[in-house]
Parts: sequence; structure tokens; C-alpha cells
Amino acid sequence: MRRRIRALIWKEFIELRRSPQLLRLVIVAPILQLTMLGYAATTDVRHVPLVVVDGDRSPRSRQLIERFASSPYFDIVKEESRPSAVEADLATGGAWLAMIVPAGFGRDIERATPAIAASPPTIQVIADGTDANSSGVALAYVQGLVGEFNTSLAEERGAGTPALEGRVRIWFNPDLESRNFMVPGVLAVLLLIVTANLTSMAIVREREIGTLDQLNVTPLGRWEMILGKLLPYALVGFVDVLLVIAVAVFWFAVPLRGSVLLLLAASLVYLLCTLGLGLFVSTISSTQQQAMMTATFFILIPMLYLSGFIFPIENMPHVIQYVTTLIPLRYFLVIVRGIFLKGVGLSILWPQFAAMGAWGVAILALAAFRSHKRA
Amino acid sequence: MRSAWAVAIKELRQIRRDRRTLTILIFVPTFFLFLYGYALNFDIRHVAMAIEDRDDSSWSRDLIAAFQRSTYFDVVGETLSDREAAAAIDRGQARVVLVVPSGFGRDIDRGETADVQVIIDGDNANTATTVLGYVTAVLRLSSTTMPGRPVAQMVNVEPRVWYNPELRSTVFLVPGLIAFISMITAVVSTALSIVREKERGTMEQIRMAPVSTLSFVAGKALPYLVLSFFGAMAIIVAAMIFFDLPMRGSWLALSAIVIVFLIGALGTGLVVSTIADTQQVAFQAAALIAMLPTLILSGFIFPLASMPIVLQYISAIVPARYFLVALRGIVLKGLDLTAVWPSIGALAIYAVAVLGVSAVRLGRR
Amino acid sequence: MPDVAIHVDKLSRRFGTFVAVDNVSFDVRRGEVFGFLGSNGAGKSTTIRMLCGLLTPTSGRASIDGIDVGDDPEGVKRRIGYMSQRFSLYGLLTVDQNIRFYAGLYGLEGGRLDARRRFVLEMGGLRGKENVLAGDLAGGWRQRLALGCAMMHEPPIVFLDEPTGGVDPVSRREFWRLIDGLARNGTTVLVTTHYLDEAERCDRVAIIHGGRLAAIGTTAELKRTFDDRPIVEVRGPDPVALMAKLDTLPIVEKTSLFGTAVHAVLRGRDVSGEDVARALADASLAVSSVSAVAPSLEDVFLDVVDRVESRGAA
Repeated sequence: MRRRIRALIWKEFIELRRSPQLLRLVIVAPILQLTMLGYAATTDVRHVPLVVVDGDRSPRSRQLIERFASSPYFDIVKEESRPSAVEADLATGGAWLAMIVPAGFGRDIERATPAIAASPPTIQVIADGTDANSSGVALAYVQGLVGEFNTSLAEERGAGTPALEGRVRIWFNPDLESRNFMVPGVLAVLLLIVTANLTSMAIVREREIGTLDQLNVTPLGRWEMILGKLLPYALVGFVDVLLVIAVAVFWFAVPLRGSVLLLLAASLVYLLCTLGLGLFVSTISSTQQQAMMTATFFILIPMLYLSGFIFPIENMPHVIQYVTTLIPLRYFLVIVRGIFLKGVGLSILWPQFAAMGAWGVAILALAAFRSHKRA
Repeated sequence: MRSAWAVAIKELRQIRRDRRTLTILIFVPTFFLFLYGYALNFDIRHVAMAIEDRDDSSWSRDLIAAFQRSTYFDVVGETLSDREAAAAIDRGQARVVLVVPSGFGRDIDRGETADVQVIIDGDNANTATTVLGYVTAVLRLSSTTMPGRPVAQMVNVEPRVWYNPELRSTVFLVPGLIAFISMITAVVSTALSIVREKERGTMEQIRMAPVSTLSFVAGKALPYLVLSFFGAMAIIVAAMIFFDLPMRGSWLALSAIVIVFLIGALGTGLVVSTIADTQQVAFQAAALIAMLPTLILSGFIFPLASMPIVLQYISAIVPARYFLVALRGIVLKGLDLTAVWPSIGALAIYAVAVLGVSAVRLGRR
Repeated sequence: MPDVAIHVDKLSRRFGTFVAVDNVSFDVRRGEVFGFLGSNGAGKSTTIRMLCGLLTPTSGRASIDGIDVGDDPEGVKRRIGYMSQRFSLYGLLTVDQNIRFYAGLYGLEGGRLDARRRFVLEMGGLRGKENVLAGDLAGGWRQRLALGCAMMHEPPIVFLDEPTGGVDPVSRREFWRLIDGLARNGTTVLVTTHYLDEAERCDRVAIIHGGRLAAIGTTAELKRTFDDRPIVEVRGPDPVALMAKLDTLPIVEKTSLFGTAVHAVLRGRDVSGEDVARALADASLAVSSVSAVAPSLEDVFLDVVDRVESRGAA
């Protein structure tokens, strides 16, 4: 049995070596994707282009605007003299946000007292809502900056300190770098993309060429076929794992707080799932095109979106949350992020390990069952 | 042109036979639309909160009640020990822990500033930032109910949101969705359909027939252009029906921009097909140069302005970026063609460039 | 039953409503070259695929070397070689790598591996081409390499599914020499073909049409159907007109076109070519020759197909 599997593995490697284009993609694609995702996949909202209309031109209005100018969240791209001018800026996308400080702003502040601010001066902020997420976050920043401005005004008047003070500690990611969250996730996603795609072709390609029948009349067993097809790609996947971890740690300086060994072990269990998935797709497809389309559209993309990679699962409707429990990527994301950022171990992550392991065995069994040699 | 027509008819027949591809062309847009419409959003509600109340005074209970009352937090555990609180975060059972220290009530009664400790799981920076905002808001609100404190803000902010007043994600994601799906169907289908003919050797057959390369390519691309065009329009109409997407601009402008974009996408597929020798490579390459940048570098999900400068420059060659700006401009802002001309211009340049490259590469053989 | 290498009993296979193989039964004796003759889509490949365990029969049984295919497919696989009409080698592997790969699948090692490797190279005339990519080989070489790989484990029984499709006549002849060689060494060969000259070289032939076994026997036995239905070959400047006339004659059972000649099957032993010539002369049709011919396998095949179809129509 071992000889037969070895022969199959050896053959797969020769084929891979003779396909330089594919080989290059297998190595280059993950690195390219990781760098791209590592840098780009940030949901942080920074450098929001802001247009300002200062209708007051008083020291107070300049104080407020200065707060925005010095904030990393906003870039003041333009100053308009009339409020009506901001419309064009927002329409063309030149600015996402417009802030209009009314005339009399400074005077009203000097008149008001913190205890009874009957008609406080009001600044108007207009957001381009087409990018709902960024706008929402940017508006929250505006509230925050104006809140700080308020506090400093109150302190100036000796209004005393606020009653409650939140001492906030952010665990795991004190600088709130979304990269620290995304990059470990990229590891999970890349593995899925590379290995599931490769293996989804593994059997169907032989079916298209006609060699599958030839294999099926040899004493090569179902599980031997699955193993022989799986191991070479598992190796390729594992190389990708090491590559991605190295880039994440040394290039992106993502903290790796937990055990590397546990991470590698988890990757292996996860590979079982992704490879099994690819093989399963391979067994239900009759052409390579079908296999690729099925893998990408029915599996990869839905998983990508529903796993919590970008969109938090806790924000989804309950029904969808139940659906996500069927996605192995979900569990691996918890594991990678847990190991990287929280440094937690098996005592906490065992449910995810168990879920993933069960999933992997199930899909492999399904693939083996489907690859049942006779139609 | 008649031979281009023959190729186009053949291609359409093949598409019709291939049930799964057809299913994908229909399933994918629908799936995404409903996914975006119902499932995916960054709106954060029901943040799991654990509470460690070491004071257990009426003030501390008031504060906890204030958190419970807010729609943002779900209190999942109360009066925990330090260790339990830490474990709750480690396990992901709680995203935030509120620690009310002993002496909290006393400080308030004395009119001093009372500290509360807030521990936030920062793994997802985006969520954490929002949660932090919520916590601050609840604290500020509670603060005004405490004795002898300022009751009002000195300066008010009056926020107004244009084009999408409720800040609904759907409205913002649908244009991105169209870009993504069109890019996939156009690039992948064109590339695969040509490489498949290469692989099977039918390409030689067609080359022997009196069909010029140009008609061949035109014939290949035409069905996908038509399919993708109707696909894009169908998404818009469905989004209008199911998710109240406003359509503020002209349909003519919309069609124009969609077609220019699709031509560029088909051209990209052609370029891929001239590079790749096998379907597998073609698919991987298409995913790498078309799908990924469209998803990541177009401003579809991740805001471009927050990216490093280098990536912002790279995104300049991603057609979806311009398409999104133009599409959002036309659909949501009601701009006309003259207002979006820079985007159309960029898309046209891209289309000409990729068609040029593929023509050169096809001609070389 | 040591004499029977392949035993097929009422084998059927349906795909949806389409009956690809319909209640087929036959036996193949050990050491025999058994031909499966039929047009495309007649059910030849489906039958072979069921015998190899690649396809589950809808009903019926088959046993190979005394082993039931349904009960012990793995046991069957050790005893058979299979080579299909489609190119079943790995194009990206060299000749030698293909050989080693299949040897690995059959668990050959050491001396046996070397011996079989030499055998395959020798048999296929592939010496000196060991390091050529299989994908770069010309059709004939590929076919012989594929046969060699299928024979890697010295199976007593081989199934060849249209092995010579798309191969030039010289290579075809060489290939058949290989098949004869295998049979001489005691291997049972079941080969499907739609070439009649190939079928002539088989010890026995089964003609399959529309999924049914229409006739079976040695070529001589099959031709015996014409013992009391002599065949005459009629030549003339206008074969189509000749055929039309012949079809109206009561002494002619049926006609078919053989190149530029017309073959007419006559009713009864006592009718002869002279009767035909006379009838044609009466109709004042130009005839250059009328001669009695020995039935060829092609006559047999067309006759069998005719009968199956008229039965189906009735």
C-alpha cells in the first residue's frame, strides 16, 4: 500500500515540476496576496478627506479646525468660503466630509456657560454616505474630537472634572492596528484558496485526460488515491504556511504570542479540511472549469464572507450565525487569531480544534465515498 | 463580422449547455446581493460585555443598568473575579469587561471623579474602536445624571449624511458588488473559454478556418459582454426592488459606464488567455490579477485613503476603482456623464491598453 | 471453470432511460483473442467498463478468471490490464517515468521491476526514447507505451478499448502483431474495434449493436449464415441504378454498396449469379461483371445490423 501511494505522490510532484507556470503561481501568489492584503486589508479609517467652511474666522473656530488638522483621522483637503460650495466637493468625491462652522461661533461660546447652555453653537457636518462604513466611523471621530473640544472648554471655565472616567485598556492589540487582526486571517484565507483550488483540479484533471480510468483499474484503493493526491498538496500548503507565518512575523511585525508548534499543528488539521474540500469538489465535477468555478463561487467566496474574516460574525443575523458554524475557516480564524494575538493555548482552543478535525475527517470521507470508483 | 457572429453563437450554445456555469452566473449575483443585504455589515450591536462589580453600591448598579439599557451591550456575566474576566475575553465569550472598583459609589457621593476600568478585546481593531466609542458614550451620558455635573455640551455637532442618510451598507456595497461580479464573469469566462480551446486543440481548428483573430476574439467576447451587462443591470434592479437602492442618475449614463468597464474586463481576460497555457493557470492568474485587486484595491470594502501611498498608486491601475467612483456617482449621487468623465476616461484608457496588449500578443503567434 | 477467462451473464446498463447495454451474455475462453465489433455507441466501451469494474451494471453478473466483478473488484483488478481509446498516459511524465509510475501502482520492485521495464521498452520499441515526454510521442509509440503500462503486472486478461483509434495503418499492423504475441503467450485479449480487418484477426468475434449482442462466433461460423444465401458482386458504370433494380428482384434478399460494387444477397442456395445477370440484362442495364464472392466480415456485420434493426422496427 505504501508503495502505491509513494508512486502517486512522486508522479504528482513530477507533474507539478513540469508545470512551471503553475508552480510559480503557487509560490508567488500567496506572497503577493499576503502583501496586498496585509497592507490594504485595513478597515481603519484614516486620512478622511475633509473640506472646511469657516464662517466665523475667530480664534475659537481656528482652535476647533486645528484639532481636525492635527488629527491623523482627517486630512483637510480644501477650505471653501461659502457653504454651498461643498456640494461639488462631495459630489465628485474630492472630499468625504464637510464641516461648516457658523458665523458667531466664537461669540456664542464666550456667552455660554456649562451649566445652562440653552442654545449652544452648532457646527454642521455633512458626510458622503455612499461609503456607509467609512462615513459612520468618520462621524464618530468627529463626535470624539468635538467632545474633546467641549471638555477642554469646560475645564477652561473650571467646571470641574467629569463624574465618570473610563480607564480603558485594550488587550492584545493596544494600538488598535487592524493589520494585527487581518494578517493572521490572511494565513487562513490563503491556505484555503491555494490548496482547495489546487486539489479541486487534482482528480478532475485526470478524468478529463482519461487517466482516471487507468488508475481505477489498478489495485490503487480509494483511500490510497485520496492520500496520494492529498499529501503532495499538503506539503505545498505547509510550505505556504511557513512562508506566510514568516512574512507576518518578520515583515508585518504581527506579534506571535502563542506557541508556534500549536499553530503549525492547527494548520495541519486545517489543511485536512481545505484539501478534503478541494478533493470533494474534484469528485463532483466533470471538467476543470466546473471544478474551479464550483470551488471559487460556491465554496471559497461564501466561506470568505461568512467566516468572520472581514465581517464580524457577531454582527450577522442569528440564522446566518448558525450557518457559519459549518465553515471550517471560521474555527481556524479563531485559532490563528487566538494564538497570534492572545497567546492562548489548547485549553481554550480545543473546541475549535475538535470542530475542525471532525469537519476534515467528514469531508475526506465524503470525497473518498464520492470517488468510489464505479459510477 | 459574420464569422465573429458564428463564433458568438457557438459560444452561447456552449454556455447554455454548461448548466453549472450558468447556475454560477445566476447564483453568484443573487447570493451576494442577499448576503450584503442581510448578513454582512460593520454595524456593531449586542457587544458581549462581562461585568466585575467590586463595589456593589446603588451607583455601581445604576451604571451597570445604564449599560444594560443601551442597545449596544449584552451583559453576559456579572460579578466575576479577575481570572474569570480574563478567561471570558480569552475564550471570546466577552468582547469587553467593565470593572467597577470598590469605592466607586463613595467617590461619586463626594463629588470626585470615579474611575471605572474598561478592558476591550482589541483583536479586531475596527470593532474595538467602535466598542470604545459606545463605552465612552454611555459613560458620558451616565455622567450627566450624577450630582453637580455640567448638564450640556458647549458645542453641538449636527451631523447630516448625504446620498445615504441611514448609512446602509447595502447601498454602498451594491456598486462594489457589480464591479466584482462583472470582473469575475468577464475575466474568468473569457480567459477560460479561450484557453480551453487551446488545451483541446480546437483553437488550431478555428485558426484553419477563415476567421480572423479579431473576429474570433470579438465572437468570444460578445456573449460574455452581453451576459455580464445584463447581470450588472439585474443586480441594480434587484437591489432597487429588495433593498431600496436609489437610482438617481440616468440609465443611459449607467449603461455607458458599465459597457466601458466590461470591455476593459474582457480585455483583461484576453491578456490572461494569451499568457496561460492551461485552464488551471488561467484561472489562478485571473484570480490574482482581476478578482483580488477588485476586492481589495478598489475601495470596495477597504477604504483606499487609509492604505499606504504605494498601494494607493497601485490602485490607480485597478479599473474597478474608477468604476466604483463613477457607479456610486451615477446611482447614488445622480451625477451625469460630464461629472464622471475622469473615471470614464480612465476606464477607456485601461480598455484600450489591455486590448492593445492582447492584440499584440495574439498577433505574435 | 478453468477454461473460461471471462464469463458474462445477462449484463445490462441503463443511463436514465437510455439502455446502453441490454442483457448481454457471452464467454471468452482462456488464451483467446476475442473481438468486440460494433459501430460507435453500440455499447462496446460500456460493456468493457463494466467488466473492469469501472461502471456498476444495472443488472446481470460478470466474472473474470472465476472472480465475480461485483463481489471482489479488487481481486479482478490484479488480474486484468486495461487500455482505453483515450490517451491514458501522463503527458508531462517521460516514457520511463510513466513506466515506473504504473509499476509503482502495481507494487513491482527490484528485479521484477527491471524485468518488466525492459519488457515494456522492448515490446513498444521504445528503447532510446526513455526520456522523451509521453506527450511528445507520436500516436503509434504512445499506443504501444499505453499497452505496455497496462501489461505491467503481467495480467492473464487484457481489455483493449479501441486501442488503435487514430493510429496510422503501419502502427496498427505492428500493434496487432503485439496482440498476437500476447495471445501466443497465453494472455486472454478482449479487444473492441470498429475496423473489420482487425476483427478478422480475432479468434472469435461478438457483434454488438444497439446495446444487444447480435451475433457471436468465429469469423468462419459467422459467415456460415450466408451458406444458403449466396452473395454476388455486381459491377457496372451506374452502381446506384443497379442497386435500385436489384432491390426489385424477388430473388434478391437485399443489397449493399461496397465501394463501386454492389453486393446482393440472394434468396436460396439454388439461385446463382447467372439469374441475376439475366434479370439485369432484361432491364437493359449496363453490367460489366457479375461474380459470386465469398462473404466477408463486412457482409456479416451489415447483415447482422440489418436484422437487429428490422427486428427493432417490427
